[in-house]
Amino acid sequence: MNYPTGQDPRQAFSRRDFFTSAASGLGTVALASLLGEEGLLAGVPGAKGPHFAPKAKRCIYLFMEGGPSQMDLFDPKPKLNELDGQPMPDSMLEGVKFAFTQKDSARLMGSPRTFKKYGECGMDMSDLLPHLSECADDIALVRSMHCEQFNHLPGQLLMLSGSPLRGWPTLGSWLNYGLGSESRDLPGYVAMTTLGRGLPGGAASWSSGFLPSSYGGSLFRNQGSPVLNLDNPDGISGDVQGRSIAAINELNRQRMEREGHAEIASRIRNYELAFRMQSAAPELIDLSGESKATLEAYGVNRQDKTGFQSSYARNCLLARRMIERGVRFVTLFLSTWDQHSKLDSGLATNTQISDQPVAALLKDLKERGLLDETLVVWGGEFGRTPLGENRSGFKTVTGRDHHPYSFSVWMAGGGVKGGQTIGKTDEIGWGVEEDPIHVHDLHATILHLFGFDHEELTYRHQGRDFRLTDVHGKVVKKLLA
Amino acid sequence: MSIRIASVALLFAIAPAGSLSAGNDDADHWALQPIVRPTVPDVPGAWSDRVRNSIDAFILARLAAEKLTPSPEAPPATLFRRLNLDLTGLPPTPEETRAFLDAWTDNPEAAYTNAVEHLLDSPHFGEQWGRHWLDLARYADSEGYLGDSVRPWAWVYRDWVVDAINRDLPYDQFSIEQIAGDLLEKPTLEQLIATGFHRNTLRNTEAGVDLELYRTKEVVDRVNTTGTIWLGLTLACAECHDHKHDPVSQHDFYQLYAFFNNADESTASLPLTPELESYARSLLSKKDLEKDPPAKPSARARTFRERTKDRRESFIHERGDYTRRGETVTPGVPAVLHGIRARGESPDRLDLAHWLFDEANPLTGRVAANQVWQHLFGSGIVATPDDFGTEGAEPTHPELLDWLATEYRRLGWSRKDLIRLIVHSSTYRQSSTVRAEYAEHPTGNTLLWRQNAFRVGAESVRDLNLAASGLLEPKLGGPGIRPPLPEFVTEVGRSVKWPVSEGGDRYRRGLYIFLKRTVLYPMLTTFDASDTSVSCARRERTNTPMQALTLLNDPVFFEGAETLGRELHEIHGDRFDAALDDLFLRCLAREPRTAEIDALRSAHDDFLRESGDGEAAMIAVARVVMNLDEFITRE
Repeated sequence: MNYPTGQDPRQAFSRRDFFTSAASGLGTVALASLLGEEGLLAGVPGAKGPHFAPKAKRCIYLFMEGGPSQMDLFDPKPKLNELDGQPMPDSMLEGVKFAFTQKDSARLMGSPRTFKKYGECGMDMSDLLPHLSECADDIALVRSMHCEQFNHLPGQLLMLSGSPLRGWPTLGSWLNYGLGSESRDLPGYVAMTTLGRGLPGGAASWSSGFLPSSYGGSLFRNQGSPVLNLDNPDGISGDVQGRSIAAINELNRQRMEREGHAEIASRIRNYELAFRMQSAAPELIDLSGESKATLEAYGVNRQDKTGFQSSYARNCLLARRMIERGVRFVTLFLSTWDQHSKLDSGLATNTQISDQPVAALLKDLKERGLLDETLVVWGGEFGRTPLGENRSGFKTVTGRDHHPYSFSVWMAGGGVKGGQTIGKTDEIGWGVEEDPIHVHDLHATILHLFGFDHEELTYRHQGRDFRLTDVHGKVVKKLLA
Repeated sequence: MSIRIASVALLFAIAPAGSLSAGNDDADHWALQPIVRPTVPDVPGAWSDRVRNSIDAFILARLAAEKLTPSPEAPPATLFRRLNLDLTGLPPTPEETRAFLDAWTDNPEAAYTNAVEHLLDSPHFGEQWGRHWLDLARYADSEGYLGDSVRPWAWVYRDWVVDAINRDLPYDQFSIEQIAGDLLEKPTLEQLIATGFHRNTLRNTEAGVDLELYRTKEVVDRVNTTGTIWLGLTLACAECHDHKHDPVSQHDFYQLYAFFNNADESTASLPLTPELESYARSLLSKKDLEKDPPAKPSARARTFRERTKDRRESFIHERGDYTRRGETVTPGVPAVLHGIRARGESPDRLDLAHWLFDEANPLTGRVAANQVWQHLFGSGIVATPDDFGTEGAEPTHPELLDWLATEYRRLGWSRKDLIRLIVHSSTYRQSSTVRAEYAEHPTGNTLLWRQNAFRVGAESVRDLNLAASGLLEPKLGGPGIRPPLPEFVTEVGRSVKWPVSEGGDRYRRGLYIFLKRTVLYPMLTTFDASDTSVSCARRERTNTPMQALTLLNDPVFFEGAETLGRELHEIHGDRFDAALDDLFLRCLAREPRTAEIDALRSAHDDFLRESGDGEAAMIAVARVVMNLDEFITRE
């Protein structure tokens, strides 16, 4: 179909119109993204921009929902194995809360895993991580994470948004609020899921909270139609869609000239972006252009009963493709690591799903020169107890309870100093002995990598200047390259 | 701890430079001054015919002082659509628009007055203004948090709100019944249902959680919500700490907390109408029915009731942590405000409710008038309706705000009377067109030299499509409905059941969409509906590509375009101009302009070439008009 002159929706909008809408302070994705694209972000009122030169430009957050067991993956505890079946000293249990474990009769539970040291740095990883162990020298492993939330949703909200309560913006929203989006054709914040039993927080897991909704994450699927309402309705061809948007924008333009409302310019822009997304998003999830070697490396074609293995592999590969296309923040949720029972088989399943694609993602980003500016974070909301879980009704003890007092996460790329292990837990893996790092500290450090002083990136809401780290947070210098 | 972040927020903190406060004393802050009815100012003689009521005098006097001139009255069709959207959230039907324009030709003032009266009497008035209230009341149909269990009877409170607003229950009584209906002498069922207001808090019942912790969080939320709605104060900060300069201290916060700390969740039995009985029956599980004897359906509204024994002691939670017990406190109000009168030995929730409406209260009237004003102008006289403290915005028209606050009280707190007064002003009736000479004015339009144009609320975005297409099912009240949703939305939450509503229920107003907190209806979120976590006094108005995709492609919206296009084609056949006139009247309440006709004829020709089908082409044209910025904008 030929577009009448001046009505092609793909035709760029004039820069002057842009500023008309920018001047009204509309911090929309579209606006920020296009200004960002033209390198004009710094001049936009309301756009934050970093406080200093950022090391990281984009982030892939591999969120391990449920609380992975640190002493079976990253934090070997020979002493715990020795004490297997013994009670814990009362002094250590004082004031401790559990979700399900009955304190009095609980016994320590060793790990059946075998650990080795990997890479030049000699990082500990268990036999469940054969692929990731090849990336040890790129990884900064933190074994001294801690927080005070021992239930899933508050813990997840804390990790994702800095507050255990609902209604706060997630990290990806803060970064898009601070930096804008670099993508012309895609949202700046995307979430994807591989879900066993669903996410406790649902859409709160990528919410913009009290920030304007344009900074919220968009949920993408990894096949079919990736975004809600992305497909034209039945009977509307691509040509009719294009012609319709041309007509919509023509009439909007006429009215803008009559009425002078700057908001209309933003509306016109957003119809253009929507139209571009309609082709960009399917192109994004179309993996036919990826080499056989790449598909194999990620394990996209692996088959298992649930389909989780290939789903998670696709998500990891799509995360790289999004990063390449300028998406600022991608969260991949994998649910669930909540092994109250059947820990060994549960961990085996989860690592079979995720170990290969996660390692492939790191290697792929590195090969393509993307890792330097892409921060990859791996972790859940807490860890698991050194005690076996003996909740009433359990016949045997085969799992571990929630444990916020010490757990492990790792980071790579984006200005993080790889090949090091930070922090130390006590000999049974209960508490942190060296370099305690709270969730707020992790957040402060991530913001630092993106060029922000975490105390200065604020948003006024209900009469208060809110920030990701609330009134806490210290940058962990050891993590910085 | 960062003082800047942690404590600025505290209410009436040290007045920042440039604040209205005259001195260092917090009590000098403008919002704490007693409300005195100001003298209505004189306006320049040339403008005297523009003064329809005192509101205009305040606005015009200020414009004159700033050497600005007001805008002419909006065209009658625009005015009529504005009134309809503001008062009912629905667009006028073509018949209503035609009748109004005819009446306007005969007698503009009478036509306008009749239109206002008709809309204030419409049952849809309560739906629109009830929705504003439900934002403040953080209403939802589920608990939030992990389980996010359904609250199958929450809607009884929602219906109470709509009904109370429709019968114009005076704002003081409306408030008192919600805050303390259970403490009224021989409370009626309706007054008990009103206390369901307190039951809208988030509730965490995840296995293993500290239940007392989350109970205290609910009480804290009730204090914060009271602060936001009636006092325009952000009390939230005082939960954890205070500051030596703050008149609202942590002690004050927990005194307020003590008012809410001795009430429990309760229910009130509703008489079983056949409709209610069948709904109640649908809630029974198989297990309930297999019991011996089988469980009987019952309808119980969610209420809040003061406990009479085992009363809890209230104490300061050090740093907001309830396990760190501080000084014991009893119910009381912030020292910086007027004193409270107790009916008994010590004040209770009912006394607190009366205290809010005490003539000496400098905040409630101002905050209430501002809330009404913002929905009729797109922005409040105080732009931060939830924050009248020193960190909030200053009023653009302080005298007008005070005049409105006194007027609201003088009108017996009649919401309808106050709205009637405002919409009859010339200020409200101005055109919203931006005049080139003021386009770059440093004050923007804060002084109201024109009306504001703004996108309608999320629910109205849906309602407009349904109403214009004729699909709308205007039924009032009842349990929430569930429009179709793709599985990939519902499967994200844990065990979310979303049985799609059938028949006419699918086409009911946005107000009635079931609000499941972990899976809010995406279309509502996309258009900035409140997230229901905390009291929301002002919605964002974003403008995003997701909104464009929704209006273009959401099956619910496309069904509207199809229905409308098909009908237009049936009625008008190939007579494109007539079809377009009809389409514009239904969607925009006006006639198309020549340039618009040209653009749409050209599009229509292209659609026709593409499909070879007149009906399909008309559907595509209807879809274009239903995607215009103007369609979802109240000008």
